Amino acid sequence: MESWEILLQQVINGLSLGAMYALLALGFTMVYGIIELINFAHFNIFMVGSFIAMWLMQLMGFTGQSHILYGLPLVGVLVLVLCVTMLSTGVLGALIERYGLRALRGVSGTAPMITTIGLSYILFNVILLTTGADTKNYSNPMPNIRWEIGDAVLRLREVMLWGVSIVLMVTLHYFVRRTKMGKAMQATAQDQEAARMVGVDVDRVVVITFFIGSALAGAAGVIFGLYYNYTSFIIGYTAGLRAFTAAVLGGIGNIPGAMLGGVLIGLIESLGGQYIAVRWTDVIIFSILVLVLVFRPTGLLGRAAPTKS
Amino acid sequence: MTETRLQPSETAQPPAMGRGASFIPAIWDRATGIAGRRGFIVLFLVIGVLLPLIDHNEGDIDAGANALAFAILALGLNIVVGFAGLLDLGYAAFFAIGAYAYGIFSSYQVQPEWWGFWEPFQWLGLVQHIQAADGPGTVHFTVSFWLMLPISAIITAFFGVMFGAPTLRLKGDYLAIVTLGFGEIVPIVARNVPYLTNGAAGLNGVASPTLFGYSFGVKSLPFYYLGLALAALLIFVSLRLKNSRVGRAWLAIREDEIAAEAMGVNRVKLKLLAFAIGAGFAGTTGTFYVAKLQTAAPEMFTFPVSVMLIVMIVLGGMGSVAGVVLGALILQLLQSVILQDMTQWIHAFGDLTGIEFFKQLDLVQSIELIFGIILVVMMRFRRQGLIPERAAVTALTHAQQTAVPSRSGVKSGLTPLHRRTIDPSKPLLEIRGLSKSFGGIRAVRGLDLDVMPGSVVGIIGPNGSGKTTFFNLITGLTQPDGGKVMLAGEDVTGLLPHVIVERGIARTFQNLRLFANMTLLENVLVGTHTRTKTGAIGAVLRTPRVRREEDAANERVLETLRIFGNRLMPRIQHLARTLSYANRRRLEIARALVSEPVLILLDEPTAGMNPTETLELTDQIQHLRDRGVTVLMIEHKLAVVNQIADKVIVLDHGEKIAEGTPKEVHSNKEVLRAYLGRSTDAVAEAAAAS
Repeated sequence: MESWEILLQQVINGLSLGAMYALLALGFTMVYGIIELINFAHFNIFMVGSFIAMWLMQLMGFTGQSHILYGLPLVGVLVLVLCVTMLSTGVLGALIERYGLRALRGVSGTAPMITTIGLSYILFNVILLTTGADTKNYSNPMPNIRWEIGDAVLRLREVMLWGVSIVLMVTLHYFVRRTKMGKAMQATAQDQEAARMVGVDVDRVVVITFFIGSALAGAAGVIFGLYYNYTSFIIGYTAGLRAFTAAVLGGIGNIPGAMLGGVLIGLIESLGGQYIAVRWTDVIIFSILVLVLVFRPTGLLGRAAPTKS
Repeated sequence: MTETRLQPSETAQPPAMGRGASFIPAIWDRATGIAGRRGFIVLFLVIGVLLPLIDHNEGDIDAGANALAFAILALGLNIVVGFAGLLDLGYAAFFAIGAYAYGIFSSYQVQPEWWGFWEPFQWLGLVQHIQAADGPGTVHFTVSFWLMLPISAIITAFFGVMFGAPTLRLKGDYLAIVTLGFGEIVPIVARNVPYLTNGAAGLNGVASPTLFGYSFGVKSLPFYYLGLALAALLIFVSLRLKNSRVGRAWLAIREDEIAAEAMGVNRVKLKLLAFAIGAGFAGTTGTFYVAKLQTAAPEMFTFPVSVMLIVMIVLGGMGSVAGVVLGALILQLLQSVILQDMTQWIHAFGDLTGIEFFKQLDLVQSIELIFGIILVVMMRFRRQGLIPERAAVTALTHAQQTAVPSRSGVKSGLTPLHRRTIDPSKPLLEIRGLSKSFGGIRAVRGLDLDVMPGSVVGIIGPNGSGKTTFFNLITGLTQPDGGKVMLAGEDVTGLLPHVIVERGIARTFQNLRLFANMTLLENVLVGTHTRTKTGAIGAVLRTPRVRREEDAANERVLETLRIFGNRLMPRIQHLARTLSYANRRRLEIARALVSEPVLILLDEPTAGMNPTETLELTDQIQHLRDRGVTVLMIEHKLAVVNQIADKVIVLDHGEKIAEGTPKEVHSNKEVLRAYLGRSTDAVAEAAAAS
């Protein structure tokens, strides 16, 4: 492979990872934007999402490698899996907010964050104890269609992944900017009390924010499974930390920032893995997190400094 | 008598406000009073000492030594999480660094080539020269375990400061995520640098400690007693720190960072101190642990370890030393005894009934699930933990609660409240062209003001006219865009809030920022922070100088509290959040006064007080002047301002629109316009015409 082909290949890989991280980062950033809480449960909602998608495909009879679909049936299956998974993780996120976190809203100090860690740990261990510690193979219905650019390869699954992410992000952007609920979200993020006073049902806004963020994490879970062809109870931790770094890099609380940060982290991971070493990826990403916090705590696109306490 | 008396059991308990409803009966809280928790700690240590005499099983003692290592870690983490309120999710990383530090410096893992540089170290006994047949030979590190205990603490404290520093100016959440990341990468680095750590296989051949020629070897007993001694040391250090100037400053930061800083606490420095001390103890424990196991591998220090420590603290009670010991004890017993026994019973039940599920069930595997459940349930229903940080206090008697307010303190003992001499002929506070904009809103524009020493100056103005912003600019909570603030001729513009307190400006807050979960006495003691010196070491050693300083601070606090007569004095052991609204206002003033200010800024001191209380406070504010304190106050109640202010300034839209005696200001047209709207002229004309 020529060096430009290697670079191109890694950019393709990086954009794919980046699309996944961006979807995951959106959940962090939306929740943080509204109630200033780092939701550690988000890590494992993503993981549960990838399991739900796997179970769905097993239910539909996809086992092993024999079931390759083309055309409309493929699109139909993917859309169905995506929608049901997103709905499930969305409901899971909403339940977590309603029954796990609402009682602690407005409590100062570390209590709400510790609760999300506890919830995350529960999700993690329920999946571990019920499904076992082994890595689960995905039965992937995606045909192995590929386009070759020199020696670099662009596969159908990457195109699909980008497509899904772009559609979801554009929809989210439209939702937040144009709809009444989206405006209520923006208002709540700016000033919860003021929003309440002009008639915004803040509880509802928060629960819907959790729903949307968790649904996007579910989509990221589906993408993870289809992209890597496996899932495991352990995937939430690493991916979650990277996605959180993406959210901070873009400016926490900032929706376009999370998308940008996600793509950048994806590229850094793939290019860093190529030109430095895969085993140092986490160290590189952690260094970025620390550097951003030192030199630009507002992130690339953030506005207000997060010093409020 | 028809009035119902409050039952002691209802009032002795802190009200549920701010905490989840409790599932633990009140009797438990009474059993864990101050004597109860002291007794528990003593009992824990005594049983700890006696256990090996009763239980001769080597395996039990070994498990006990390991359990002690985790109890020590939990105590160290409690300083960070419980005292200072900093959520550290990567504590295991510091544990790892301490472990690897000793591992590397006492094994054959790293063997640099021998040359002259090493000779002094050889002489000190830190390295050995391994001769080789050809060439200069290699270096073998043989640093003593006892020397490494403190060195590990220093190394890990350094890492703590390095990774804590970037986040400590930001919201606490960032520290959580950075420590989580740090906790993840330390094992990765350990895996990736086999030269230093032997990678995933783990470091082997770590030297066993020796003491006066006695080698610990692989025996458990010496490690057990060493662990117990370390635990006792950490309990002692924690208790000493907690009840000191440093500990109070940590609690204050945990309760309200902004208010702590406005009371003179350098929050960045103190947070770093907590973080470094916590990390240091983890390092020492790492050295202990690796010396005991004689091996160190990356898997020993991953995220679940950090979570387990958090669970111990949350279960026992954040900030509660006795609680953390109890939490560690329960979790260790749960892990190594209770769940194993229960699993055996369930298996026996399964064999009996022939149900496959019970035959297979292994509860030990579900320990992490139990951790998660403990975290969620405790945070929801019993946030203060099994043994709360605060023992329940006895409620006031009915007679005390309904006693007639006495104000004897005001009249007696007219000692000055600060020790500075102020030139009475020059303005104490000079403000020139002070400005601040938030986005497009110009909250304060080009403000000038002179405040003469010994005067009371009132600031009035409609809501949103920039009064509180003005206070924030003077006290450094907000940085001005332009202009100057001079105190007694010194420029204090844009200094950090805690420095400004030190220079002699103290303040209260409009919407009350007390340290809710600290006692009334502690709240006020935080105010003495800038006038006292005790550091962490002094607090632990409690030298005579520290004792004297503490006594003097206490005396000063009591003297100040006497200003408010019997309003606050009977309640000094109560938590601030149990106080009435008016008492909270009084407490804020007392807290500001003990910082020995030359100038005090009161932001609506009488808000929420009834007319009697307002009169009482007006009187007290007047007396502050007699005791040498200059007062600048924002006040909406014009009766108060009229009575005590020598000068009144009126703000509107961030500008000073009038200044003068209360009388002059009241007849000022601009002022009427600002308060009553533009049509007042027309109203006045109409009135004149009729």
